[in-house]
Amino acid sequence: MTAQPIKSEPVTQPESMTGAAAVVRALELAGTEYVFGYPGGAIMPVYDALPGSQLKHILVRHEQAAALAADAYARVTGKAGVCMATSGPGATNLVTGIANAFMDSVPLIAITGQTQTAMMGTDAFQEIDTFGITLPIVKHSFLVRDPAEIFNVFAEAFAVATQGRPGPVLIDLPKDVMQASFAVSPQNDHRARSTPWPDLDPALIEQASALIAASRRPVLYFGGGIAISRSEAALRAFHSRTGIPAVATLKGLGGLPTETPDFLGMLGMHGTRAANLAVNESDLLICAGARFDDRATGRLASFAPHAKVIHIDADASEISKLRHADIAIGGDMAKVLDALRPGPLSIAPWREHCAQNKTRWAMRYDAPGKGVFAPALLNELSRRAGDELIMTCDVGQHQMWVAQHCRFSRPQAHLTSAGLGTMGFGIPAGIGALFAEPKSTVITVTGDGSIMMNIHELATIKRYRLPLKILLLDNSQLGMVRQWQELFFEENFSEVDLYDNPDFAEIARAFGLEAFTVDRREEVDGAIDRLLSATGPILAHVRIDPRENVWPLVPPGASNSDMMEA
Amino acid sequence: MSNRIEIDFTRSEGAVLRLIGLVERKGFDVCSVDMPETGPGPARLTLGVSPRDASRRMDVLGRHVAKMYGVTAVRSEATREPCLERAS
Ligand SMILES: Cc1ncc(C[n+]2csc(CCOP(=O)(O)OP(=O)(O)O)c2C)c(N)n1
Repeated sequence: MTAQPIKSEPVTQPESMTGAAAVVRALELAGTEYVFGYPGGAIMPVYDALPGSQLKHILVRHEQAAALAADAYARVTGKAGVCMATSGPGATNLVTGIANAFMDSVPLIAITGQTQTAMMGTDAFQEIDTFGITLPIVKHSFLVRDPAEIFNVFAEAFAVATQGRPGPVLIDLPKDVMQASFAVSPQNDHRARSTPWPDLDPALIEQASALIAASRRPVLYFGGGIAISRSEAALRAFHSRTGIPAVATLKGLGGLPTETPDFLGMLGMHGTRAANLAVNESDLLICAGARFDDRATGRLASFAPHAKVIHIDADASEISKLRHADIAIGGDMAKVLDALRPGPLSIAPWREHCAQNKTRWAMRYDAPGKGVFAPALLNELSRRAGDELIMTCDVGQHQMWVAQHCRFSRPQAHLTSAGLGTMGFGIPAGIGALFAEPKSTVITVTGDGSIMMNIHELATIKRYRLPLKILLLDNSQLGMVRQWQELFFEENFSEVDLYDNPDFAEIARAFGLEAFTVDRREEVDGAIDRLLSATGPILAHVRIDPRENVWPLVPPGASNSDMMEA
Repeated sequence: MSNRIEIDFTRSEGAVLRLIGLVERKGFDVCSVDMPETGPGPARLTLGVSPRDASRRMDVLGRHVAKMYGVTAVRSEATREPCLERAS
């Protein structure tokens, strides 16, 4: 992740200022443009200081959406996203969003109001131990007890959030500290430190290059660390000079453009058969910015059973956490990938074998019937949207179809809640993405379950006239749960039927969006045209077969080589 | 066999809670806690820990602790005494 630009010119500050004014100034100094938030009692002093500042506040309709929008903004820009809420329920509503950023290593600054210092610990109105609640889901947190610390704390928070392996940082601000004035001294005008990456160890690079040169069946297994460290250029260069067959995790998608030769697609539970077979047969895994997550590995004990491992990661604590690394290289991902020069490889038969598997097991779009086949629709939509596409999605079957069937030109083109799997991510993420890149074609793919988690954010879309394109795949089911009940719980369908869904197109219209409904396959072409040509916010409500499943699938606890097909 | 992990860190709000919580969450039973009284600034926390299952490794725990904000050094060593499980 690129470090947040911290302005370096001296600032002219008044002799004394309130804590709240200092918060606003500190955010400006950190280069913040947008703050996604929702006001309330304890944070009111900061809201009082906002007007007239350089910050643009985006008023969402639920604090969770503030955190998720800021998360997506950060994923697209590489800068820390900022969200803000009041104490108590405002802060607890932020928690899912903070956890989402934590699980996906996204730099996020979460600012919360807190009850007055003297009242803390007395169960005062809207007092909640936000610091305590969020301890396990932040990279770090600060509770500010002295307004004179504010500049230091914010500069430090931005540095912690963005440097190394990024993550969320919480800043809890008691109301009295915001209201108190303090004398500004030069020490208050603090600039964030920058922690340099450790130097590469040439001996390790040489050993790794030798291991790659000796391998006959290597696989490049890359993950979200590529997007986080903005190392896709180095990844692409490494891949094109070696031709090593490559597989991506859910968060790695886009690291190599989907159509890249020797790219076999996503591995893991809903990965391609070609990807899982390659990993299973490989003699060397070059793991770049991935973490052997259970959704990617299936049964860990039988994952890549014949392979040695070279593990490259910015975070030393990921190395050998789940799978022993024969060679571990920490530090700057792009520099490591650039340094790896194994020379000519003898892998032509292996590449050929992987290419044949890729053709043999390619996804098929010729499903029988007249109903809309979601994989075909998504594939076509993403291709027509082109390189300008940013696709955000919710969680469920539609999320996996997006990963399996869409074309991505860069990692920022695919925003998904991978680690936490947060239903409700899609629409706020679309909002955050549009603030990050207003000229991109931002499409949110959602399900009839997920959309209801943050449907109120249609109001935010309307308010800020965001040209978000929402594709709602409505199977009138909590589809992914229904699929698991069908396959692994003996068809004991329990609480997954959403037969009484509201009329989603009507709802969207009530919020002021253009909306239409599609039922038949022959309408799909026109629907894609309408979505892509709309200049304002639009929702396409697409009804699909409730019995449709995501294939292929590795059953939970099974090895990736034991994939189930339709 | 239990292990001792010794953590040098800079005292700040919530630091002790954060460190002990991390060790627990990473799959270790904390069976002793020792921290000499200090003022603000550098402090040392020594924990007796034992892994909850065979997959939990001290070197991985050490790296998790080492990357926490404010941690300046981490040492771990195996001790001979078994770490007593908490009475249920
Ligand atoms: C906040 C939250 N609650 C529950 C879940 C568990 N969950 C995962 S997928 C899913 C169903 C999603 O349904 P829908 O959005 O309609 O998508 P579909 O699977 O039908 O495509 C559920 C309930 C979750 N991931 N997140």
